[in-house]
Amino acid sequence: MSKKIWVHAEVADGKIANVTYELLSKAYDLAGEMGDGTEVEATLVGSGLEEEAGHLARFGAKKIYLADDSKLKLYSPVIYAPILADLAAANSPEIYIFGATATGSALGPAVAARLKTGMAAHCVNLLLDERKQLKALVPSFGGKVIGEILCPSKLPQMASVKPGIFVKKDPVPMPKRVEKVDLGVYEKLFDAKGLEAVGVVRRPPEGLPLNEAQVVLCGGYGIGSQENWNTLEKLAHLLGGATASTRPAVDEGWTGEHNMVGTSGQSIRPKVYIGFGISGATHHICGMNESGVVISVNRDEESPIFQVSDFLVQGDVNVILPALLEAVKSEME
Amino acid sequence: MHFFEFTEEQTMLRKAVREFVEAEIAPKAAEWDEKDECPVGLFKAMGGIGINGVFVPEQYGGGGMGFVGRSICLEEISRHSAGLGIAMMTHHLGIYPILQYGSEEQKKKYLPDFCSGAKIAGLAVTEPGGGSDFSGQKTLAEKKDGGWVLNGRKCFITNSHIADVTILTAKTGEDEKGRNKLSTFLIEKEAKGFEPGRKEHKLGLRGSVTGDLVLSDVKLAEDALVGKEGAGAKIGMEGIGEVGRAGMSAICVGILRGCVEEAVKFANERIVYGKPIAKLQAIQLEVAKIRTAYEAARLLTYYAASLKDNGKPCSNEVATAKYYSTEAAVEASKRTMDLMGGYGVINEYPVGRFLRDALASIPSGGTSHIMQVIMAANTLSSFQA
Amino acid sequence: MTYNIAVCVKPVPDPKHYDKVTIDPVRKTITRTGIPTLLNPVDKNALEAALQLREQYTGTVTAISMAPPDAGEILREALAIGADEAYLLSDRAFGGADTLATSYTLFHGLKKLEAAKGYSFDFVLCGCESADGATAQVSSQLGEWLGYPHLWNVFSLQEVDPKTFSIKTKLENGYMEWRAQAPLVLGVSRELNKPRFTSVMGIMKAKNKPLQVWGREDLPEAKDEFLGLKGSPTQPGEIFTPDMKRSGKVLAGTPEEIAGRIVTILRANGVVVGG
Repeated sequence: MSKKIWVHAEVADGKIANVTYELLSKAYDLAGEMGDGTEVEATLVGSGLEEEAGHLARFGAKKIYLADDSKLKLYSPVIYAPILADLAAANSPEIYIFGATATGSALGPAVAARLKTGMAAHCVNLLLDERKQLKALVPSFGGKVIGEILCPSKLPQMASVKPGIFVKKDPVPMPKRVEKVDLGVYEKLFDAKGLEAVGVVRRPPEGLPLNEAQVVLCGGYGIGSQENWNTLEKLAHLLGGATASTRPAVDEGWTGEHNMVGTSGQSIRPKVYIGFGISGATHHICGMNESGVVISVNRDEESPIFQVSDFLVQGDVNVILPALLEAVKSEME
Repeated sequence: MHFFEFTEEQTMLRKAVREFVEAEIAPKAAEWDEKDECPVGLFKAMGGIGINGVFVPEQYGGGGMGFVGRSICLEEISRHSAGLGIAMMTHHLGIYPILQYGSEEQKKKYLPDFCSGAKIAGLAVTEPGGGSDFSGQKTLAEKKDGGWVLNGRKCFITNSHIADVTILTAKTGEDEKGRNKLSTFLIEKEAKGFEPGRKEHKLGLRGSVTGDLVLSDVKLAEDALVGKEGAGAKIGMEGIGEVGRAGMSAICVGILRGCVEEAVKFANERIVYGKPIAKLQAIQLEVAKIRTAYEAARLLTYYAASLKDNGKPCSNEVATAKYYSTEAAVEASKRTMDLMGGYGVINEYPVGRFLRDALASIPSGGTSHIMQVIMAANTLSSFQA
Repeated sequence: MTYNIAVCVKPVPDPKHYDKVTIDPVRKTITRTGIPTLLNPVDKNALEAALQLREQYTGTVTAISMAPPDAGEILREALAIGADEAYLLSDRAFGGADTLATSYTLFHGLKKLEAAKGYSFDFVLCGCESADGATAQVSSQLGEWLGYPHLWNVFSLQEVDPKTFSIKTKLENGYMEWRAQAPLVLGVSRELNKPRFTSVMGIMKAKNKPLQVWGREDLPEAKDEFLGLKGSPTQPGEIFTPDMKRSGKVLAGTPEEIAGRIVTILRANGVVVGG
């Protein structure tokens, strides 16, 4: 029997989340590296997902294990974890990857605990070592240190990876092969008391999703005021890009946490990143260092952000930001 | 033997106060200084964590951590805001006479509110005629209708405009040699005829209020007396000598630590000729001097506080600590400024404020000259062969 | 309603000093000399949540940590903030634990406590992640060992009735809402509450509160195969400092000139400026 690399497909609002395609794309490469006809497979849990399962096939999943029931519409660790753990125990994948999303970061380790296996969290890369075992690269101390995490003696070797780390490949037309999970044994969990998922509330999207923007304007503590933040928003809009933030800017209340970049936020890789008033703490740099071109504006010549910038402007955000807005506006005319 | 090793509780206290100070005080200290504005509202929060009554026994709502504990609080507050430091230190100074000499009723009535932050205390001794000429006070308290009537003016009074309760000394008679007999009174801010007067604009320790208190026919009940009639000089001198000056000393230890930390930060960050100036020996020598001043001030200050906690006489040790710490804080903040070059005089850096606060600490509770006179008197009598 | 609450806490190097973390090039270990240890910041939110529950209802708050012996200090701090009792699970046999082994050890610590106290914990609260490793897996895995429902990244916990809580967990671009009853394991986020400061009164009270250290022999029910290094399916390999340096060309000139050069760079990299 050929080896398997599994990806757990994350569902958001009835659709497969983008991170899943990123993970499948990486899993496809890892399967090639592993050789011996290693196949990529996916697990999918939710309600009314038969059609969505087809997308997984197009991104490389040879087989999709689908647990589909109206009672599975919303994530719950109480039901999802046993279903996935039982599936993995029965099918013995070598590697099992989750998105390090809000749901995946809770569900993945629960599945790992049930399987008594190891899971590397928030990996920034997944490699294979000389024995074709998973070597996960994991940041710690806010990204200051990267460590390899191995899981040498237990299977599956599990890992979670944040959205935006891996690059999604182009889908290829492919027939889907779905294996439906028999949910009969989980009936009693469906009605278990104690924890009930009531619903999901989404904030209306503010501008372009960060991970889709070609240009990201990121504001840090040095942006200095709500007024400057609003200018940043305006500029991002004119450029067809998105704004991003660091923790201090969120703490100042200029923006919400939804577009925070770094180890405790999102990972981004836009074509151009422009940082305004960002000092460059490692935990932020970790989330943006895959950007194409990095431009930084900061008053302090010793800002660490300058070390990781392609272009640097040592100057006052209060001056440069409006000047850039004017320059872009005049190009529009 | 260990000299001055802090207990586990004292270490925890320092950590707790530091966390509070870094969150609630450090970010606003420069603004209070610039606007010369006392954050009165913060007294409740500080009371909540136990700073206001840190040395008051637990039975009266205090923390029961003595004067070493109090010095820790004042050092930590003053590391970032010596202005708020002196406001708190004066609050303690107002508490002390009640705690030490007040009646049980007075203690039960006032101390819990002083500890919780519901009420702010102050102490008023100095008059236009001078602070160090203690017995020359002119504020008069006369017995009338089974109570007291007070008239006079106090000046350079910290917390003058914010204190809910002021402990005040006044002349209540003369002894057989014609010398003033002083007594101590407790006055609530609502008392009729009792008003704060002018507010001073100070060079340093801004963010604390210093001003006049004016008394015109202030009528007080008989039980407004704190301690015995005629005990005012003793109560006032003890408070200032053992609590007030000790507090100023702790405040300057805080300023000195600020100097050490700012100097280190700047020396490591400032790159000249391709390397941090911390690599230059000339800078290292300055850092060592600033550090020495901090360590010495710290030892003197906590030693004096531990004497007080152990019930031993300490006015000479407190005077020594106050003299050294305040002068050392002036010198060290000047050194830190020099080390920082042009940046030292820019108000975005706190070191200019440190220097102004250190200078203003010298006259508070008695100038360096007075401290030296006290120390000299003690030395001349106790070092006779 | 009475709630017995356990709060799991961890000592971590102060995140303010992570720029001082280096790697010993010879021994290939992390050097963190001179970095003070503190109570993991978001664990304080967990403790605060526990104290608020105890204040709103009645009950007990027990702090528990699996850590080296010197972690007594952060447990003493938890007592000073307001926990009733504290337990430190500390033994060489627990060392080298990954999240699976850590959560297993905590699970057995809690079981032993429950047996000794004659009650079971209604809430087990954890910070959602530690500042140093940020693996963020212990709360979920502890929930699995205990067999309790677990939620992670909890930022709101409100009473529906004294037995039922409305809980919100963070999602990308929104949140998920839950109805839940004890027993529960919750990994809480920093938005849940504002932790109280340690008070002087708390420090004095903490002196007389119980702080016990339990070693391997105190957890006889625990199996060796799940403890410490041996019980950790993940193993660390090499460690390194990522090199993220870039060339750093200076853009100088008047603000207008700089803005013009940025526009040029944007265009050169495929960003459409002005159609």
